[in-house]
Amino acid sequence: MKFSLARPAVALAILATLAACGGGGKATFPINITVSGLQYPGLVLSTNGQDLPINPPATAGQDVTAVFPNQIEYGQVYEVIPKGAVVTNHTPVGGTQPKHQQCAASPYLPYGTAGQLARIDIRFVCAINAYPLGGKVKGLTGTGLVLANGSTTGTIGVSPALDANQKPTGADVPLIMNSVPYNTTYGVTVLTQPTSPAQTCTVTGGANGFGGGTMDDAAEAAGGVDNLVVTCVNN
Amino acid sequence: MKSSILRAGVVALACALGLSACGGGSGDLYLTGAVYNVTKDGLVLTNNGEDLAVTTPYTSFQFNNRISTDDQFNITVKSVPSNVEKISDCIVTNGKARANYYTIAQIRVDCAIRQRKLTASIVNLTTSGLVIINGADRKEVAAGTATVAMAPVNEDGAYGVTVLQQPAGQTCTVSGGGNGKGAGTMGATEDTTVTVTCA
Repeated sequence: MKFSLARPAVALAILATLAACGGGGKATFPINITVSGLQYPGLVLSTNGQDLPINPPATAGQDVTAVFPNQIEYGQVYEVIPKGAVVTNHTPVGGTQPKHQQCAASPYLPYGTAGQLARIDIRFVCAINAYPLGGKVKGLTGTGLVLANGSTTGTIGVSPALDANQKPTGADVPLIMNSVPYNTTYGVTVLTQPTSPAQTCTVTGGANGFGGGTMDDAAEAAGGVDNLVVTCVNN
Repeated sequence: MKSSILRAGVVALACALGLSACGGGSGDLYLTGAVYNVTKDGLVLTNNGEDLAVTTPYTSFQFNNRISTDDQFNITVKSVPSNVEKISDCIVTNGKARANYYTIAQIRVDCAIRQRKLTASIVNLTTSGLVIINGADRKEVAAGTATVAMAPVNEDGAYGVTVLQQPAGQTCTVSGGGNGKGAGTMGATEDTTVTVTCA
């Protein structure tokens, strides 16, 4: 009885030793993940039938590291994508991204064959989504109108609509400011008033009615802010 | 056998080096690079005695003299635009090397534009809730506040302070600044004329 117990134990020990020497089967590879810039929850990465939810770091700004639950074997193909993304030529579109952000693989390729590299190390970088900020300019006949969103992302010059004879018509002109990231404020002001003819333009619209607001959940759901109105009248 | 191969190799290499060293003036490589954070004239780069002014749109440069493979290049900053404080605020990366298709594609120049303080004076604010912004820079202002330090602004850059949210029971308007309504272009001195008056 004693012997019969000991024998399988010895066999097990031999097996374990063999495996440790690489003789006991194929090598396996963990799929290591590092995500930078993640601020909001919701990201789920996926490969080889496994899902890996990634939560934002406890300390803002730090990288998040994670490993897929199951290792893959030598020679197995992997491709890490946001879960459910449609992949064309290794370019994933859509999938389960975090709220208010988009994450993409960078700088290493998120696909390959286990064993190509000594270690599978995949990095994703997440950026805050930015949404359009715009509307229209009414009554503009002068030239030189310059608008700014405070000190953020430069200035925007607007020219009047012209007819076939290059005369200003005063028709509405689309206003396209630079996009605004989620959860940041915007406040559009007139930096330079138009001249010849001299006009005074005022900004209305936006969330507060005066060209200001925050790119919040409501603005995000609406796909941005498109209700700015810059009204120009002759002096 | 071994030594003869070695000898031939060394001779060939020496020949190649000698040839390129004699190549001199106009080679076939353009010395180019990317430029970041430059908004006006004034940046002058220099390489082995050749000066090059970086012109609008201030995003790249290309020296006129072409160079040959293995030529030593050494790009330095000779002068900076007026809104950059000092020469060392424009940094050349990978600006010194021997020329080949790899090294001439790795050069960049980054300048840091001088920052100026933007301060808003607050007049007669007696209630809470006022929020003023300069674009993405958001400041909540408590009752009784006299001045608010906004985030610094690039010299020659635009600013425009507006009221995002009015305080309870009061209406505040913005005056001052370059255009009299809280907006303008930051000059070479700090702007302290932006005033938020509440009534």
